[in-house]
Amino acid sequence: MKRKVLSLILSTAMVASLAACGSSAPAATDSQSADTTASETAADATAATETAEAGSYELTDLYITVDGTLTANVDNGQDAFIEQWEAAVSEKIGHDIKLHINQPEHSGYKDNVAQLLTTGQPGDGQYPDALIMSATMFKQYQNTGILWNMADAYANAEFQSRITLPSINENMKTANGELYAFAPTYGNGCVTYIKQSWLDAAGLKVDDIKTFDDYYNMLKAFTKDGQTGVIAAGFGKLDEAPYINYMPEFWQGAYPAIYQKDGQWVDGFQEQATIDALTRLAQGYADGVIDKDTEEASTKTAREKWFSNDQTTSEGVFTYWAGTWLRTLTDNLDKNDVDTDLGDDRLVQLPPIKEIKDTWGGYINREAPVWVITDDGDGDNSREQAIFDALLETMLDGDKVQTLWTYGAEDVHWSTHAESFTTNPDDPDKKKDYEYAEGEFHLKQSPNDPNSVWKKNHLDPVLVIAPLTNGFIDNDELVTAGNKFFTENCVDAPQSPSSEILTEVEADLATDKTTLMNEVVAGKKSAEEAIAEYQTKWGDTINEILEELNAQ
Amino acid sequence: MQNFENSLYLTAINKNFYEWGSKMSKKQKVTSTGQTINKKPLGMRIWNHRGFYLMFLPVLIYVLIIYYWPMLGVRYAFYDYTLKKLEPVGFKHFQKMFSDADFWKAFFNTLQLSIIKLLITTGTAVIVSVFINEMANLFAKKVLQTVIYLPHFMSWTVTAAIFTLFLSTSSTGFVNETLKSWGLIKESIDFMHELTLWRPVYYLVNIWKETGWGTVIFLATLAGINPELYEAADIDGATRLQKIWYVTVPELLNTIIIVLILNLAKVLNLFESVFVMYNNRVFAVSDVISTYIYRKTFMTAIPNYGYTTAVGLFKSLVGCALVLICNWASKKVRGRGII
Repeated sequence: MKRKVLSLILSTAMVASLAACGSSAPAATDSQSADTTASETAADATAATETAEAGSYELTDLYITVDGTLTANVDNGQDAFIEQWEAAVSEKIGHDIKLHINQPEHSGYKDNVAQLLTTGQPGDGQYPDALIMSATMFKQYQNTGILWNMADAYANAEFQSRITLPSINENMKTANGELYAFAPTYGNGCVTYIKQSWLDAAGLKVDDIKTFDDYYNMLKAFTKDGQTGVIAAGFGKLDEAPYINYMPEFWQGAYPAIYQKDGQWVDGFQEQATIDALTRLAQGYADGVIDKDTEEASTKTAREKWFSNDQTTSEGVFTYWAGTWLRTLTDNLDKNDVDTDLGDDRLVQLPPIKEIKDTWGGYINREAPVWVITDDGDGDNSREQAIFDALLETMLDGDKVQTLWTYGAEDVHWSTHAESFTTNPDDPDKKKDYEYAEGEFHLKQSPNDPNSVWKKNHLDPVLVIAPLTNGFIDNDELVTAGNKFFTENCVDAPQSPSSEILTEVEADLATDKTTLMNEVVAGKKSAEEAIAEYQTKWGDTINEILEELNAQ
Repeated sequence: MQNFENSLYLTAINKNFYEWGSKMSKKQKVTSTGQTINKKPLGMRIWNHRGFYLMFLPVLIYVLIIYYWPMLGVRYAFYDYTLKKLEPVGFKHFQKMFSDADFWKAFFNTLQLSIIKLLITTGTAVIVSVFINEMANLFAKKVLQTVIYLPHFMSWTVTAAIFTLFLSTSSTGFVNETLKSWGLIKESIDFMHELTLWRPVYYLVNIWKETGWGTVIFLATLAGINPELYEAADIDGATRLQKIWYVTVPELLNTIIIVLILNLAKVLNLFESVFVMYNNRVFAVSDVISTYIYRKTFMTAIPNYGYTTAVGLFKSLVGCALVLICNWASKKVRGRGII
């Protein structure tokens, strides 16, 4: 035994000595020098192509990290998108540039980005020069020093003269006028969709659904023989702003997160409105009008069950993204042979019920997802400016590059050449012919699904803050109607807070809040007990966060 | 004079020889026949066996690179390692960890889940092995063995998906629908989300998946039992059950203890099976150290790798201690250690 202990000690000593050897790099220094070293390393990594004396920077490789909102993914013609982007941008900036797209799994995007930014450094071939962030993510990173202040670049951008919605980016500026992110579109939000056939079967009309009681009675009418009233991806998505948008009728005026109220930051999770909302959800769950799968369903699972071929276990109501998604949901119902006879009238959009109007004023328009540029920390803006010029400036050029980001690659996702094609040629009920004349802009068949027509790439042409100038417009009446409905019935979401303490505890906070919410909905504890438990565990931390925010 | 010089010379040699002998005494080895063999210096021994050492070299390099090089990362347990920040913080992370109720919950959950799972799956494997051993029909025996081995080769992800569907509260949940159709329950039972039910379900799934594989070692032991013992029991008039109790079980006991001891060293390595089956509502009874580390590392907005490394290091140290304890226990039980 002694020998074993001795050998263990020796092994430990060996590891320790190895660790000591390894720590000769930045680790063993104090924080300041560690930061400096990291910056120096970062700067060294990119210095090769930088022309310091001229203050200019020739960006030859652009590394971006994107989520699933870039729909031209590797299975959907991304190669063509990259090829055409490189050609167009190289021509614009006057030298060759290569685009490298890293597109992690959409659901794990946040975690993937955290790893990339923590363990990598500019120039290592993985570290993103620019990346997409949700509003919540952006607020978490805003004060870390890792993002570049693009206020000047944004102010001097060529697209400024064409911006129709300047407030989107102006509102993101800090009190000092710094701008660490760029939103090319406004946020969009969710609206409640109801299957027309279910309304007909229940003898209801959408115009009669005006209050929560009306809504609830409709859900009850839908709930029978394995069918349920409503499904969503979670009773509330408490880890991503605006948290309540998938079940707005139940949440009503509640906002279960830290938000600004009358100029002061408050914790909405502790408010009476949240207690009431949780109680409503629990009632809905107990009455069976909320699908049991809601608790753990991802957005993908929820929507696939909703438009599935088997409507005997489906739901009548689904609150989801407005505009283009109205087309996508309708097409998927069509693909699954659901209510084929109703065509584009399969779904109706429910105007916000009275309780939502009285509190928020309408459906929540979330804070816009943004593009950020990483700062290499060398004190020289030339690299970052070059990234801005190549990526963001061209993204809203109104012409070639913006079209790429909006619709995808020419002759792959869209075309202006004369052509005709047929979707679902083997199915007489679904078969649809398309014919276009030379010079007529149109979307083509999806690269990975010839039975559906391509919809859009990354930028939604309706949501974009600076419209295309080349006249390329996809005239889908359903999408236009969806966007019109949303813009007429939406209000801006509360601004997300940016706090160091909150960033540190946000994941644990969201986990605990979700656990408590789920326990209340499942009837394991009352809403009051849950909030009391939350206050016991998190009360002090929340007070610290609020103090920090209100002092800003 | 010459004799005197010779005697001085011999004295000196003797003295040197004596000193050398006393120095070398630790390098001497006494064989079982009482012979004393002088051990050669290490360098010479390596040179003499250079062929073996050369063959071992790739293994040594592999071990150093694959197992020891990554261990350099343990130093981050003493650093704040987050975005653009790498600064030494001493034992801060350990203090935070020990004062975190969620950590202790995960720690004790790990021990409870692992140990109970180990006892239950081992017990079931023993019982099933004895039954298989008693089966007279060779074909039925083979079929049964194959059937119960199969679940072991399924991934935990598939297993969890099957049981989640099987136990679902929706209309597709086989168990709930069957119980309802028999009139045994009115409302569906949420097996995967109930605090009181999650652990029993977890143990059952483990039994289903691992019992078959667990029988392999016991069946091998059973096959090695001396038939004369059973013949003697027959002559004494023992019944089938008495033969199991008085011959089979005692013969298996040593193997059971060894299996338990060997597996005890791995009790903290619990991740995949829990990760694919747990959910927010049952964290209180299901969160284990590895899932705790996973969440803190991969599901946090801006993770502090220093903290999660500290938790990982603590887990490794406890694991090391368990291995030593098991080694000691193994020596006591079977006369030799496991390391």
